[in-house]
Amino acid sequence: MEMELDQRIAEQLTEVSLNSSIQVRCGTSNAFMVTASVIVPLLHSFEMGGVYISASRGAAETIDALEALGLSTENIHFIDLVSSGFLGGTEVEHKNISFVDSPIMLESVLLRTLYHLRTTDNERNFVFLDSVNALAIYNEERMLAEYLHTFINTFRNREVLTVILNVPDQTPPSVLANMDLYCTDLVDRGQVVIH
Amino acid sequence: MQSSSYTRDRCVTGVHGLDEILRGGIPYGSTVLAAGTCGSGKTTLGMEFLVRGAATGEACAHFTATEPSVKLLENIRQFPFFDMGMVDSGLINVFDMDVLYSWLGLEKASFDLEDVHALIKAITDIVNTIGVTRLVIDSVTTLCYKIKSEQLIRDFLFTLGKKLATLGCTTILISEITSATENAHWSSFGVEEAICDGIIVMGDVERMGHLLRFLQVVKMRGTAHSRAKNTLELTPLGVMLTPMLKWGSTVDNKQGWG
Repeated sequence: MEMELDQRIAEQLTEVSLNSSIQVRCGTSNAFMVTASVIVPLLHSFEMGGVYISASRGAAETIDALEALGLSTENIHFIDLVSSGFLGGTEVEHKNISFVDSPIMLESVLLRTLYHLRTTDNERNFVFLDSVNALAIYNEERMLAEYLHTFINTFRNREVLTVILNVPDQTPPSVLANMDLYCTDLVDRGQVVIH
Repeated sequence: MQSSSYTRDRCVTGVHGLDEILRGGIPYGSTVLAAGTCGSGKTTLGMEFLVRGAATGEACAHFTATEPSVKLLENIRQFPFFDMGMVDSGLINVFDMDVLYSWLGLEKASFDLEDVHALIKAITDIVNTIGVTRLVIDSVTTLCYKIKSEQLIRDFLFTLGKKLATLGCTTILISEITSATENAHWSSFGVEEAICDGIIVMGDVERMGHLLRFLQVVKMRGTAHSRAKNTLELTPLGVMLTPMLKWGSTVDNKQGWG
């Protein structure tokens, strides 16, 4: 697959620390390119592993897309919040995927992530949340804002880098405002927000 | 004014999140009621409590009244945190209540005062002989079905708890309840909750058609503790807990859920 990664994102990532929380804003058309531009340096340059929370699409699809770029995903565990929603969705060959019944089970997602971080051998870890706007489809605004607050602080406390992907014009304004407050860094490849 | 710095010694449960909720663990020698609905994780919690104790060399015992010990062990050994070697080496001792009844000649439909005292003596003798410091009875509901009077149930639990505390044994009595909502009783017979030193309630919160397990410490004598609802997840490493989202712990229809 031919795709040009955004090198400025890799440069920006050199300035963050393990207890940082990065809000990554993207648009609907560049979401995967932005995702890959974050994941590639985390794996290759910083030799990190971690947990990828897949709420936008099935984890198998994300794995296939990343592997098509020549990336090995063996140091990433995927938590798939999408595929249990349809029959046959969880019948995949990848061993590094676990499934949560629904994107509304937010605390289960947090606990599963903590579980995988407890069992991993990686010295440095990230948690990649893909994405806030996908969670916003299912979760009430105040609960989602509360969750992100807990989520960011939980991993910051454990020195785990948090990366939160977000399509701004599909995210409730109060959640966006809270993200601006909680996150330490912003990678902005998003669209203009008009509310 | 003098301030007291006295704190009771704790039985560190080793269950992820629970000791934090209890500000260090269960006060030693307490009798704790773990009351929960079906499928809420009571048996796993009880077994993990024993496993964590056995891992530090404590002698543990599990009295099973709801299912045969063979079946219990077959189910629990699927969890990687459980080590069958602890049973083989005698650190975790599993007893079938039916076998105990048979030994005591208590194979009858209901127990009288004499039977109850025989049962208490048998349990405390086992605890004393093995030197058990962690005990789980699963479930006290099934056991108490044979005790027909509330007064006798009260006497049974009070005397058992007192004797076990004297022996330095921290006990979890598992209780089956049909509802864990605000208006529900936390015990099957309405007397267990008053007798026990602590109450841990376990159940489900329904969120848009999905059930999330929760655990809430309602009461624990001898320690400050959180009384918040916590989401419980059963993982291969055992029980894991995290505070339940405040906006997600009850379904408020007026808010319309988005």
